[in-house]
Amino acid sequence: MAEFVTVAGVDDIEEGELRAFDVRDARIAVANVAGAFHAFDDTCTHRQCSLAAGDLEDTTVICPCHGSEFDVTSGAVLQGPAREAVETYETRLEEDSLEIKV
Amino acid sequence: MSETFVIVGASLAGGGAAATLRQEGFDGRVILIGAEPQPPYERPPLSKDYLRGESSFEEALFQPSNFYEENGIETRFGARVTRVDATGNVVEFGDGEQVAYDRLLIATGGRNRRLSIPGLDLEGVYGLRTVADCERIRAEIAPGRKAVVVGMGFIGSEVAGSLRQSGVEVVIVDRNEAPLRRVLGEEVGRVIEGIHRDNGVSMIFEDTVAAFEGAGRVERVTTQGGRRIECDFAVVGLGIEPVTGLLAGTGVEIDNGIVVDEFCRTGVEGIYAAGDVANHYHPVFERRIRVEHWQNALKQGHAAARNMLDKDEPYDEIPWFWSDQYDLNLQYAGFHTEWDELVVRGSMGERNFVAFYRKDGRVLAAVAANRGRDLRRSMRLIKAQCPVDAAKLRDLDVDMRLLADAASSH
Repeated sequence: MAEFVTVAGVDDIEEGELRAFDVRDARIAVANVAGAFHAFDDTCTHRQCSLAAGDLEDTTVICPCHGSEFDVTSGAVLQGPAREAVETYETRLEEDSLEIKV
Repeated sequence: MSETFVIVGASLAGGGAAATLRQEGFDGRVILIGAEPQPPYERPPLSKDYLRGESSFEEALFQPSNFYEENGIETRFGARVTRVDATGNVVEFGDGEQVAYDRLLIATGGRNRRLSIPGLDLEGVYGLRTVADCERIRAEIAPGRKAVVVGMGFIGSEVAGSLRQSGVEVVIVDRNEAPLRRVLGEEVGRVIEGIHRDNGVSMIFEDTVAAFEGAGRVERVTTQGGRRIECDFAVVGLGIEPVTGLLAGTGVEIDNGIVVDEFCRTGVEGIYAAGDVANHYHPVFERRIRVEHWQNALKQGHAAARNMLDKDEPYDEIPWFWSDQYDLNLQYAGFHTEWDELVVRGSMGERNFVAFYRKDGRVLAAVAANRGRDLRRSMRLIKAQCPVDAAKLRDLDVDMRLLADAASSH
């Protein structure tokens, strides 16, 4: 059963920034897009680079290794070489804590 | 009557252009013709994971195999166009069969450059361009076998890395003092040399192959410097030459590939070119450049298709590519042939840096080792073509995005 897990404080990820967290057995990246948090698998589906080490432009995360682009809100591929979407996770704020449903 | 757009070259550029024509709503006939029997596929894996047997060919396919039929794209794979008749508006196959076009895109790419080295035709001597080439090399790979790689450009370096990772003993012969010295400079070349040395590759610089020798099959490579290197097989990576012969007599200008303007148009009405074969006028660098990389093939193909539909959009993407060797992720962005200063951000010793090729204060290009984020952030800086303070480029505490913002607002 998936449940919400606290991963960080709300102030730990600045606007326009990315961070990755180990949550249970998963490595999950979180993007702060204008104050809204979007969580997705940190591992690029192309060659397994960390997406949190890449760049965030609006709601697009760009893989630092080969330039694959994903929509952080849906996980969809916007630009190859990746073909497969990344998994996304529900997030919520509980007081000052950021929680991810895993 | 509906129009017919013919694309010669079922490559990334050609396949991408066909897809774009449909996405843009073109409802005429689209005919995609390719000399290789396979539908368009991506070549980067051929020197990397596919060569090492870590991924399947299906994963390298540019589009799912039913894509073309579903999108009403007629395909002729395994068919080589030998001639274009620009007066009669037809392309012709080797057997004389003709296909008429209203507009034509040439995306024939390149073929491996073959130097006249004795023994080049011996069994066990390979080039690497197509999946068929890759299969032949793959069949030679086994731990403990010995290979000579000729040329330490990007393909040679990647092949050497993949062979090494598969347990093959590798000797590289390259005529330069350091790998990629002419392109990237001595300092960056030494970093690439270092990672290969750490992984047990033997490298011979400032020497060239005199002959491949063996009884029917290659057994050794001899060099101009007098070396004799025993081997089980050899891979030659000395670059490509653009495939332009089919345009002979059409009036299309050929000069280091097919000369096209910023809209991917040749000087002959209705004929376009994109990808490795196109020597394209780049509006940012204000000169023609011919780029032999994945991103250019893909995006220039898209751009050419849109311009075939009279969108009049100049293609001005900053050239960018990656090269994975062992655990090194190398990336390059921009275009440079010369530079007066190499500004390094990060540590070359730790193989974590971006090196900027700077001329008259402007950043023309950058190469990054395991520092992809900064490389991507420098692309806007390159596009702006404005002077940038070297001290700021060097300072790891300065956010590259801010430098790019400042340059873009110039």
